[in-house]
Amino acid sequence: MLYKLAAGLLISAFMATTAFGQTISVEGEVTTPLKLSVADIAKMKKTEVTAADRDGKTHRYSGVPVTDILQQAGVTLGAQLRGENMAKYLLVKSGDGYEVLFSLAELDAAFTDRVVILADQVDGKPLPDGKGPFRIVVPGEKKPARWIWEVTTMTVRFAKD
Amino acid sequence: MKKCWWLIWSGVLALSFLSGRVSYAPQPYVLEYPASFGHRINTPADNPLTKEGVYLGRLLFYEKQLSAGNKISCGTCHEQQRAFTDGKTFSTGVDDVPTDRNAMSLVNLLWVRNFFWDGRAPGLELQAITPLTAPHEMGQPLEVAAQKLQQSTLYPGLFNAAFGSDQISGDRITKALAQFERTLISADSRYDQYLEGRYQPDSAALRGLQLFSTAPAPEKKIRGANCTHCHGGPKFYIELYHNNGLDSLPRDAGREKQTGVAADRGRFRVPTLRNIALTAPYMHDGRFNSLEEVLDHYSEHIVSSASLSPVLRQTSNEAGGNSLRLTKREQKDIIAFLHLLTDSSFINNPNFSNPFN
Repeated sequence: MLYKLAAGLLISAFMATTAFGQTISVEGEVTTPLKLSVADIAKMKKTEVTAADRDGKTHRYSGVPVTDILQQAGVTLGAQLRGENMAKYLLVKSGDGYEVLFSLAELDAAFTDRVVILADQVDGKPLPDGKGPFRIVVPGEKKPARWIWEVTTMTVRFAKD
Repeated sequence: MKKCWWLIWSGVLALSFLSGRVSYAPQPYVLEYPASFGHRINTPADNPLTKEGVYLGRLLFYEKQLSAGNKISCGTCHEQQRAFTDGKTFSTGVDDVPTDRNAMSLVNLLWVRNFFWDGRAPGLELQAITPLTAPHEMGQPLEVAAQKLQQSTLYPGLFNAAFGSDQISGDRITKALAQFERTLISADSRYDQYLEGRYQPDSAALRGLQLFSTAPAPEKKIRGANCTHCHGGPKFYIELYHNNGLDSLPRDAGREKQTGVAADRGRFRVPTLRNIALTAPYMHDGRFNSLEEVLDHYSEHIVSSASLSPVLRQTSNEAGGNSLRLTKREQKDIIAFLHLLTDSSFINNPNFSNPFN
């Protein structure tokens, strides 16, 4: 019975973490873990970027700079991004299981003018089925493999080795 | 002080010698696999692989006492000759009622992070509880299984060697099974031999490999099947859950049943293609009897729905097509390539076979 209970508990814990497909969890090396709903993100300041998708065509993407979200969670950016914090990374996960990684310095405005956004609109419309409600857009990147769609989790960690 | 410790140690040694018990000293099991598979392996800290644990796990894998009425073992639905599948659409367990989903192949599980077709179990130890106890599978509470083994002459000594005491528990049963399953590594197919320059595929298989690895772009006259988008890399899978266009209204909602998220409707694990020619029938519900039927599906019959994988939308060799639209010859070439992924040394490895035979 104990094993069944343990299995049940673990599986419910797993369900609880994935049940909120429409929210984005920000966790790990943060001072304030976040669970952002579509409404929470709608309230944040929007930025527009222009970038070419896999189809080779240039589109206008609108969304929130990823660093704004990380700052809200208290991630070490800006003046704090130095010393051991240079070994931190952001892992972004999709509802389909895909994962992509950014070092914090790749995202921080003190290091780069490129603004990576969490987009919710393309060319003035919501993202299409399967890619929304939120997708990372990395302007200037030649291959859109890090334009991870259906974002569910953003985790900041220290590299282990 | 030093003398005092010496006395205690010699006492302990003498006692263990007198009691006739061999002290618990399991030997680490060294896993061998290609560096290209990567070291992102999934082994919990409280269950390191040992030779004793793996051996015990192998016996348990083929042990019918782990089922109600001693009818079946794990190996009944996971036959080595079929890359640890059973050739059935749905397996039948101790009560002869079919299971809900097709029995999965057990291959390269060391790297898998979440198990089952819907990824609901985050570890092999946890995964094993389901087939052992589910009423339509082996149908026996773990406590009963542990009691049966405890009363046997064979097992208490083997559990002692593997875990340091002859106490048998469900926890130890699943740990030993998981250890054995982590050793089921397949990395010596003809495709691997081709990469090492030891085997030369025929031209059909090489054309198939090219199609397998290429995304179609009809506007540039590039033909392909884009398989590697999900089945890429040396392990021939990426741990993803996609709706691959089987139904508009799936009878089995797949991952949505776990998460309650509409985007997960009809989503199932992307399985490895290693040994795929041995593991018919295909898909979570075993609906396709052959690789020809699978290729026909991707080529002609992708069904649109809100949760259809974006990878399968507008991915076609015809401008505006909704399925791959491969020619019959291209489909045959891809199947010729898929046969290169059969690993005969894996299915004949004596370390994986039924030790009771």
